[in-house]
Amino acid sequence: MSKNALATRVAVTAVALGAITTAASAADFDWKKFQGKTVTFLANNNPVSAALLTYKADFEKLTGITLKVDGYQEQQMRQRLVTVMNAHSDEVDVFMSLPSREGEQFAAAGWYGDLSAMSKSEAAADYDLAGLSRALLKAATFNGKLTSMPMNIEGPILYYRTDILKKCGVEPPKTIKEVEAAAEKIKACDSAITPFVSRGLKPAVAYTFSNMLHNIGGSYMADGKSNLCSPKGKEALDTYSRLLRDYGPPGVVNYSFQQISALYRTGRAAMSFESSNELRTMMEGGERLKDTGLAPFPAGEAGQVPTAIGWGMAVSAFSKQPDAAWYFVQWATSPDIQKRMAVQGIAPPRPAVANDPEYRKWIDEQPVRQQWQAALDVLASRGSSEVGYPIAANPESRDFIGQAVQDLILKQKTLDQACADADKGLDALIAQK
Amino acid sequence: MTYAAYAVTPDRQRAELATLSAPAVLFTLAMIAFPVVYTVWLGFHTFSSTGRQSFSGVGNYSRLVADHEFWHGLWVTLALYVLSLALQLVLGIWLALLLFHAKRLPGIVRSLFISPFMMPPVVAGLMWLVILDPSIGAANYLLTRVGLPPSDWLASPLWVIPTIAMIDTWQWAPYVALIVLGGLQSLPPSVYEAAQIDGASPLTTFRRITLPLLLPTIVTATILRSVDLLRFFDIIYITTQGGPGNASNTLNIYGFRVGFEFFNIGYASALMLTLTAIVFGVVLAFNRLRGAVAW
Repeated sequence: MSKNALATRVAVTAVALGAITTAASAADFDWKKFQGKTVTFLANNNPVSAALLTYKADFEKLTGITLKVDGYQEQQMRQRLVTVMNAHSDEVDVFMSLPSREGEQFAAAGWYGDLSAMSKSEAAADYDLAGLSRALLKAATFNGKLTSMPMNIEGPILYYRTDILKKCGVEPPKTIKEVEAAAEKIKACDSAITPFVSRGLKPAVAYTFSNMLHNIGGSYMADGKSNLCSPKGKEALDTYSRLLRDYGPPGVVNYSFQQISALYRTGRAAMSFESSNELRTMMEGGERLKDTGLAPFPAGEAGQVPTAIGWGMAVSAFSKQPDAAWYFVQWATSPDIQKRMAVQGIAPPRPAVANDPEYRKWIDEQPVRQQWQAALDVLASRGSSEVGYPIAANPESRDFIGQAVQDLILKQKTLDQACADADKGLDALIAQK
Repeated sequence: MTYAAYAVTPDRQRAELATLSAPAVLFTLAMIAFPVVYTVWLGFHTFSSTGRQSFSGVGNYSRLVADHEFWHGLWVTLALYVLSLALQLVLGIWLALLLFHAKRLPGIVRSLFISPFMMPPVVAGLMWLVILDPSIGAANYLLTRVGLPPSDWLASPLWVIPTIAMIDTWQWAPYVALIVLGGLQSLPPSVYEAAQIDGASPLTTFRRITLPLLLPTIVTATILRSVDLLRFFDIIYITTQGGPGNASNTLNIYGFRVGFEFFNIGYASALMLTLTAIVFGVVLAFNRLRGAVAW
């Protein structure tokens, strides 16, 4: 076990144990301790923050803290964050972060406040830190420091049209090979429908491709070097790009979640690998509610190694009021708020919330929601947060993966050329300190 | 006390004017100079992906010379610039002539002709993204209706640059038309009367009189569009983010991604300063041309 992995395990266990002991001691928790302060929250304008901020007034009433929300689209939020953090400014107290993408980088740059210490010293009795997904807490722990608290859990799953599969005599696919076989049959059976769609846009590919790579049995790195040209890596690249080239929509190289959701929602796609988070968008208008089936990402030769990630709430290392900021973080990631967010379609990162009677009632209203929850259970129990290379330059590594996939979709390179070119660039990234 | 005692000498007047305007001048200089100086400073530093910063001298510029992606970005930037500018000038002049001669055109129609450039680029980008979607877009529907094969438009490495040039031309040719229309309206009527008396054909009049007299206006429009086109960003970012692959990865898109997605602010600053130098060079060249064609 590496030093980092050991430190992570120790930290996660310590956090969990700490939670049990703190719960009792924090019975008379003073929510008004920072009354009159203003906390600035840099938010990504996505469904997760939208659901959370519905209850902004409740937080302000409970704590007497004024919450100033600075909201942007994802890329613009990062742009602002980089500017603020490079200037070591205290303008932002709390920010949203994707540990799977930028965790290594931000942690190494010292931008995250250490929440493991805060969560031990200042936690409400009902916070239940140990109730949060251990996989997500682990993914947010770097060198023994807990850097963010999970807000949701998500990962790529399979959406499929039950009516089209039935018409074409295809069983819902359980393996990647069955997905390809099903796509072939659908293509022959109904030429008006796109048999399969997944992400093809360069920076977006890694999200769905990583799941395929892991399920097939591949890994991004071996012996400190890029491993994309290994037999399993090549198989994953070949399978993913072949599926999109032979069965995907024209122009799939520009497809990310927005285009995929629109294509599926309008009834033009039979199967799709897309984020569990897109359920609400895919089902918008209600047309797909009755003819959609959901399943975990189909298995490969290595079985199911689902990708499970989640947005996290981090306290800035440069905040002048980390304690007040932590109050907002713990309120936002508390069981009560996560239960309320769950019935708005934000998958809870707490297994206990998933069993809550009110949430179960919401789930049981639609068979699609039941299948969605079943797929999420698989993510929560077996998920890996490795999307792209586990290095500080993770965002840049995703570009090389996306480039290799696009080169193959567009037939601009052979498989050997595409993976060799990617490995060359990735090895240089890995070598960077 | 005599009037002379109150008289303000030219020197004193200058000093007072300088004192009164100094805060505004200093503020403006600071607003312009600080970001430029800061960017130059950043360009001499290296920021690792973990945010560590170190002085690297001209290291970023040496890296730039050896960076294949930089040269590719430069090529894409120039290809898009030349194609878009040519299309916008030709269509803009044609549209201006149309509006100039169609005196009876109702005001609302004139406004509609020139409305695209008033549309926010984000809206224009999203609108064209939907129209040009190879699966569900109206463009391919129309092509197939008239018996032509569908195109991948923004998803084709071959067609992405002409497609982006077409979108930008749709949006900005009316702007060129508006500038040229202003130029047309200021041309002296006496020259045209003389040409008419001499029996010049409309084509000859256009070639020998209108076009030469319009050249200063056209060069002005060229300068304005050059500045925008060389640092073209919004529509590309919305529609392709530099893809497919790196087929539409202009210098501006590349610099943005290096700086704000890969967090290497130093190298991004070097890229952006190089782009700024290119823009300055082009503007200076056209400024000289404007002097040469002035009448």
